[in-house]
Amino acid sequence: MTVSLRSFPALRWRRGLQQLARLDYAPVLGLRRFGHGLLLVAAGLALLFALTGQPRPLASWHGMDLLSEGGLCGLLALWLAQLRSSRPPGPVSNRLFLGLAAWLLGAWVDLLDEFWLLPKAWWWDNALESGLTLAGIVLLTWGLQGWRQEQLALNEQLRRRERDWRDHRRLDPVTRLADAVYMSQCVSQQLQRAEPAWLLMLGFEAFEQVLREAGLAEAEALLDSAARLLCLNLGRQDLVCRYAGDRFVLLLPGLDETSGPALERTLAQALAALSHADAQGRRWQLAVRSSGLALPAPGQPEELMLELARRLASA
Amino acid sequence: MTELAAALQALGLPPPPAASYGREQAVLNWCDQGALLAEFARQRGLVIEHWLQDAGVQPGGLLSPAQLLALLAPLLRLGADAPFVLGQLWWPGHYGLASQALRQSAHVLQAAERLARRAGRLSPLLTPRVLRQEGRLWLLFTEACGLPAAQRAALVDLHLAAFVGFCHWRGGQRLPWRAHFNRSRPRDPGAQLVWLGPELQFDCQVDALSLPLDCARKPWAAEGGAELALAALEAGADAQALRRGWLAGLSEQLLAQLCAGAPSLETLARSQGVSPATLKRQLAAQGTHYQAELDQLRALVAAALMKLHGWSPERVGAALGFGDASNFRKSFRRWTGLSPRAWA
Repeated sequence: MTVSLRSFPALRWRRGLQQLARLDYAPVLGLRRFGHGLLLVAAGLALLFALTGQPRPLASWHGMDLLSEGGLCGLLALWLAQLRSSRPPGPVSNRLFLGLAAWLLGAWVDLLDEFWLLPKAWWWDNALESGLTLAGIVLLTWGLQGWRQEQLALNEQLRRRERDWRDHRRLDPVTRLADAVYMSQCVSQQLQRAEPAWLLMLGFEAFEQVLREAGLAEAEALLDSAARLLCLNLGRQDLVCRYAGDRFVLLLPGLDETSGPALERTLAQALAALSHADAQGRRWQLAVRSSGLALPAPGQPEELMLELARRLASA
Repeated sequence: MTELAAALQALGLPPPPAASYGREQAVLNWCDQGALLAEFARQRGLVIEHWLQDAGVQPGGLLSPAQLLALLAPLLRLGADAPFVLGQLWWPGHYGLASQALRQSAHVLQAAERLARRAGRLSPLLTPRVLRQEGRLWLLFTEACGLPAAQRAALVDLHLAAFVGFCHWRGGQRLPWRAHFNRSRPRDPGAQLVWLGPELQFDCQVDALSLPLDCARKPWAAEGGAELALAALEAGADAQALRRGWLAGLSEQLLAQLCAGAPSLETLARSQGVSPATLKRQLAAQGTHYQAELDQLRALVAAALMKLHGWSPERVGAALGFGDASNFRKSFRRWTGLSPRAWA
């Protein structure tokens, strides 16, 4: 039996650190090297303790304190790295970053206490510890309040692309729509509500030709344009997801056997009118096929969508 | 010639022996499949240096199948449609003379035959095999030199989508393909349906495409120019194109020996000119072992004989060297999870 080197946890750790080092970190207050600055301040504090304090004898080290305070420092540093590598710079980001950084330094001073004894008469280490932690938590709270408002604004932008809940694993990287699994969850909720709705699938006639003749980049740009065009044509309660390939699946609540097909025709015409210009200046305008069914309908959501895909494939 | 050998020959098996390449052997040009993958990785926003570094690959030069698989692994995880989109770019591809010859095929059947013959260049990871039976063309995809289990399904999807897509593009129309999968039905086979067509069959013993032969022989519009690429290939250009994956070559030898009676590891090793211990080690390096290969092959042959030739389970059992029918039934159930009756 062969054992892969990668199965050793120690090597996976190294890989994790390598991944962390590859990330792109947002600047804080315009400072790109904020992390290095933070390290420098932490080292300065450690030096201050080493120069002014009495090393604590090994016998009076508290294992539990070291573990909890060291762990808190480590986790705060990780949170800061995660946040900086995922958020764009801006006022809200700055508050969050600075809050976490101040809290981290407070925790660091707390940790240094465990290694060096300072004379009881000195007050600055306690002030530093409490002040930094308090400032950090206040900044973080202020930042989270901003984050909430920012998120509400973003939710409004994402309307028609998501409904009721969010799952980033279900996002399609090309069109930035949710995928078929997300749609099937929404359809099953719709089925539970037992209200009328129209489930619709749209697809291009000769998409593969674009892929081969204009290339992958153009084909994906075409899909992205199509997704945006569909979003423009939808109401607030509607949802569009990417099914697979060049197929889009739409859930239109409140429509019935007569209004559903009418909107279906309108959407298919809108998509067929899309004329995508590629980098060579060639225009691609593809015929569109559509197929829809009224909800509630018997069957699992996946089967309903599969039925629509089958109708589209054999149309 | 035994009855079994005659039946297999009627199926077009086994093909003539060919030189082989192993999983770690650097035989593929970077600018063939490697460059294609790099383009896809760039389009999907991967950092190319990191992607290459993780796969342990230097661009340029030659790639081994193992490196190609390592390059593919992160790409196949980029969205549910990644294998199918890669498939659209896979054939005819820009792999030199072999691609040109594939492109100049006159119809589906000829394309399948050219693909199977030049698999070393066109399809280095899964070896295509062409069968003609019951008025249908079958294009089977078998492992060339071992695949990681996690990538298997996606790679099969990629290859099936590649051939369906190539024929659609070359012939200008959708064909009534039937796609067969050697795996159970996924919860939502939507992507397979969209890219491969509405006829999907899961829980088959093979990964294959099939098409009525009259569709497969329908001529395509001629591609301009003389068939210079094919002539050059026939004259011996591009030796790699003719080579087969080590595992594919081995199962061909095993198949030939299967006709002569129950083969053993020792006889197979002797015919390869290596010691049994070396053969075992080589098989382990491809992530498999002798009994697994033998079982897989016997399952395939039994399934084909029953389904395509209409043989009874008793007859198949006897031809494969099983003493009695119940023994064969038990083995078939172990290989495939199905009873022979249920399969036939």
